[in-house]
Amino acid sequence: MAVPVEINHVKARGVVRITWDDGHAGEYAREYLRGYCPCALCQGHGAAAEKRFVEAPGVELDAIEPVGNYAVGFRWSDGHATGIYTFDYLRSLCPCSECEKANP
Amino acid sequence: MWIFGTRFRRRNADGEKRKDMSSATRESVLAALKTVQDPELHKDIVTLGMVKDLAVADGRVSLTVELTTPACPLKDKIKGDVEQALAPLGVSDLALEFGAQVRGSKSGAGTTDLLPSVENIVLVASGKGGVGKSTVAANLAVALKMHGASVGLLDADIYGPSAPMLMGVTEEPAKVPVDDGFKLAPPVAHGLPVMSIGFFLEPDQAVIWRGPMLGKALQQLMGDVHWGELDYLVVDMPPGTGDVQITFSQQLKCSGALLVATPQDVALADVVRAKSMFDKVHIPIVGMVENMSYFVCDGCGKQHEIFSRGGARRAAERFGVPFLGEVPMVSQIREWGDKGVPIVVQDPGSETAQAFLEAAARLAGQLSIASAATRKAPDLRIVTS
Repeated sequence: MAVPVEINHVKARGVVRITWDDGHAGEYAREYLRGYCPCALCQGHGAAAEKRFVEAPGVELDAIEPVGNYAVGFRWSDGHATGIYTFDYLRSLCPCSECEKANP
Repeated sequence: MWIFGTRFRRRNADGEKRKDMSSATRESVLAALKTVQDPELHKDIVTLGMVKDLAVADGRVSLTVELTTPACPLKDKIKGDVEQALAPLGVSDLALEFGAQVRGSKSGAGTTDLLPSVENIVLVASGKGGVGKSTVAANLAVALKMHGASVGLLDADIYGPSAPMLMGVTEEPAKVPVDDGFKLAPPVAHGLPVMSIGFFLEPDQAVIWRGPMLGKALQQLMGDVHWGELDYLVVDMPPGTGDVQITFSQQLKCSGALLVATPQDVALADVVRAKSMFDKVHIPIVGMVENMSYFVCDGCGKQHEIFSRGGARRAAERFGVPFLGEVPMVSQIREWGDKGVPIVVQDPGSETAQAFLEAAARLAGQLSIASAATRKAPDLRIVTS
């Protein structure tokens, strides 16, 4: 399973660029990452196959914090910070054209 | 650094003649040693930096092989391989000593290291209660100590803190001044510092704490305790996959988890859950121990496989995790445990104690492997640009 080696918050363009140890890289827009927050407040406790998208127009990213060996947390400007994004989940969210094609 | 008394010399009958013929130089000896592999790390001992204090003169060679653990299960193999590698060089006199420098294997990017003076932290875990996790943790900790390492035991089992009883601790932790504040000095039992969440509870009272309280308590048991320099800290975890496990996986650094299981199917079903949890949070499983493997009747000597021996070994093979050993079910474990004397101390020659000593050596070997992997893995960089 791939793990990220760098998570770069490119402020000027409003994206988070993640580079993985298998060489893959993808750019995630801030609203996209915030929208797919995996926490129970955003997704509920059910095991719904479809992820819910939470609208947060213009949201800023205040901080990125590593969580153990397996995840990161994002602190958003709307005060939300409860999502623990596992590396596997982040990889499944990768919006690059290659991943989109493989997993539409 | 631990020095063993394992010093040996090898002199051929025609040693003097061979000495004159010796072509051994520092370079040729190093080249020969480069063919000797560490059997667990699968790299040569020169590249691994294990060859220390090498001296070559007049066909005489002396060196220290610095193992990655004093509990190295493969010391004899390395010794034989070194002798064999140097034989063609006409070395007349070989003085080989073993030392050990335990290397750290902790990982956990998001966390401050509460215990920088502790090299390895092993979580002794199980899917369910009652499999003998605390007994295994206490005996493995003492066994590592008997192999020559410095070891501590942390009892994090909030639901049933039993390490003080199993280790025969009667005193309370004491306050010691450290730098500009105070820390708690753990009581020492059988040569090991022992800390338990049980020291802070009223006797016979249940702990009714939620996650955040537990997390805080655990951090104090690590960070506010004067553990000193340790090669290994063995953590006796509560059963299952609850708050304490989550705290470790998100906030505290550790090296890996050791799973204890009894061999019957219904118990193994729960171990699968524990394994799956550690996989999810990327904490490596450093091994599996089967407890209560079989019962030896003290009347007839027959082995009774009450829980169907071998289940945990098969499960370990299926998961691809190292199997560290089988511990039999004998009444002495319970008897001496209740008296506060681990069986490895009370009867080190017994079959049971030998099982623990061997499992401890294999565990130390697995932690050396984990250490090599940890240092190879790049750290996650988090940047803003």
